[in-house]
Amino acid sequence: MSEAMIQARGLTKRYQRGGETLVVLDGLDLEMQAGRFYALMGPSGSGKTTLLNLIGGLDHADEGELVVSGESLDELDGAELAHWRAANVGFVFQGFNLIPVLSAFENVELPLKLTPLSRAERRKHAEYALELVGLKDRMRHRPKQLSGGQEQRVAIARAIATDPKLILADEPTGDLDRKSADQVLELLARLNREFQKTILMVTHDPHAANSAQSVVRLEKGQLQGIEDNPAPTARSAGR
Amino acid sequence: MMRLVWRQIIGHPVRSLLTVGAVLVGVFLLCLLRSVVTALNAGVDAASSVRLMVQSSVSLFVSLPISYQARIAQVEGVQAVAKWQWFGGYYQDPSNFFGQFAVDPVQQFEVYPEIELPAEQKQRFLERRNSCIVGDQLFEQFKDEWQIGGTIPMIGALFPHPDGADTAWEFELAGVYHSSSGALDNRTLFFQWDYFEKTADIEECGVFVLKVAPGADVTRIMAEIDALYENGPQKVRTTTEKEFQRQFVTMLGAVPLFVSWIGGGAALAILLACVNTMLMAARQQVHDVGILKALGFTDAATFRLMLAQSLSLCCLGGASGVLLALATEGYLVGVLGTFFPGYTIEPQTVALGFGAALAMGLVAGLLPAAQSARLNCVQALRGA
Ligand SMILES: Nc1ncnc2c1ncn2[C@@H]1O[C@H](COP(=O)(O)OP(=O)(O)O)[C@@H](O)[C@H]1O
Ligand SMILES: [Mg+2]
Repeated sequence: MSEAMIQARGLTKRYQRGGETLVVLDGLDLEMQAGRFYALMGPSGSGKTTLLNLIGGLDHADEGELVVSGESLDELDGAELAHWRAANVGFVFQGFNLIPVLSAFENVELPLKLTPLSRAERRKHAEYALELVGLKDRMRHRPKQLSGGQEQRVAIARAIATDPKLILADEPTGDLDRKSADQVLELLARLNREFQKTILMVTHDPHAANSAQSVVRLEKGQLQGIEDNPAPTARSAGR
Repeated sequence: MMRLVWRQIIGHPVRSLLTVGAVLVGVFLLCLLRSVVTALNAGVDAASSVRLMVQSSVSLFVSLPISYQARIAQVEGVQAVAKWQWFGGYYQDPSNFFGQFAVDPVQQFEVYPEIELPAEQKQRFLERRNSCIVGDQLFEQFKDEWQIGGTIPMIGALFPHPDGADTAWEFELAGVYHSSSGALDNRTLFFQWDYFEKTADIEECGVFVLKVAPGADVTRIMAEIDALYENGPQKVRTTTEKEFQRQFVTMLGAVPLFVSWIGGGAALAILLACVNTMLMAARQQVHDVGILKALGFTDAATFRLMLAQSLSLCCLGGASGVLLALATEGYLVGVLGTFFPGYTIEPQTVALGFGAALAMGLVAGLLPAAQSARLNCVQALRGA
């Protein structure tokens, strides 16, 4: 067994709505290995986004322990979490990932501004990331001038620009047509295969989930189990 | 970070331009109003302590017999006395407003050593009975129509020419002076008393301006002169030049205060508009701020981002407003110079204008910046 990237014990998250308390995650235990590609599936409202946000250090759990990439997230305060995110996680959201007034290049360069890299080095890293997602020729374009699939690929370039070990993607193909979705899935599989990125991707599309090595199922705030996928599609379809 | 600030500003050009425009107008008005107020006080501040004015104790508009001049000159410690009479005419059109005075040429230069002009021009003024001198700012305004040695026709509105009200007084332009002190402006025409007295057949004058000998007791001289005519025929009041200048400012009464209130009100209105604009900008950028926070930008960083936007817009407007005030300075001296001689944009006014813009940017940016800092990243990304 390789080392654990994510370890959760009794993870609980509640929301107050009206007078009611909604238990979204209910004492969840979870362990995910480094260097694997996971798909997180479950019905709408089952708490997938909430879990992803906790793992990514965007939000605090109400109870339980959560260790990601060796760091106990519940012990970090707001500013420490922000620094931790900058160094350890890349995010890809469902839509509206990019800042509209910035070009593709500038969007990708953004997280690099939080590193001590020089201007020239930032430029190199950002261009390399854009090249990796096949959009170097579009780097001067604004998000509005890109297709939905291209936008998601720029978002992936931004997520990998600082070279984090963990990439969290929340329904990255949810708004895309089949062809664009396949490109994004292939890209994620390749990042896992060639760069050993640990990837956790929320999806409710079984076809998308099929490109992952393992599928995590969530229902009513409880983990239903982790199944290994013996033949991930993207892998077999690879070069 | 500054790149993102500029992109957000340029990305919403209409909103940004309107904000910059509002601040520009506000700062420009502020500079203008302050300069007017400083101009009003300039004469008072620059007034000489060795010059005294003798006027009727009734009012500035009551004249004194010219025979007083010789008596006043005899008072111990008085070095020179010059007659001054407001002519109140106009050149070509009543809207060409500038001050004109009939003065004693010799005494005038003794009392006002700050009047500078080339020796031969001065000589010409002293020698030619119907000659006049004008300030360099005034000459600049009419330099296409006037020339030294030529004549300046003036319609005497208060003192019609004896040949008929339509007949112009003709003054020969002997020279162009420059006054190096704020007590005397550079937009006035002075002409020979004798010519005035003979032509208009006058035996009275508005004020006497006198110079006190160095070291003489000013208070005593003032009291002594007042005492001369204690029992008539015309009581006089002797004041220092400072006091004399101040009565013009006081004549305007609450105007400077009123002007400050208008300026302050306009600034407040613009500030509120800026706060509103920045709140709108912050609302539009909720999602962007959510992304920034997810990427690892801290609350403090997003606070600065919002504040920098506000400061940039207001500083841009402030700088443009100050530049506009400086650029229009020359033009406004021409328009306002007569009413507010000494209208200049002082370095302190530039600092005030820019400081006001900076303060506006700070105040307008604070609330939206705090909102952005407090924004919950998860909610922002959910689009709540
Ligand atoms: N800020 C919140 N306040 C109240 N309820 C919330 C909040 N965020 C999410 N929820 C609720 O938590 C549940 C889980 O949401 P989410 O994690 O987004 O589910 P999923 O991503 O699986 O669709 C949903 O019922 C949602 O309405
Ligand atoms: Mg979700």
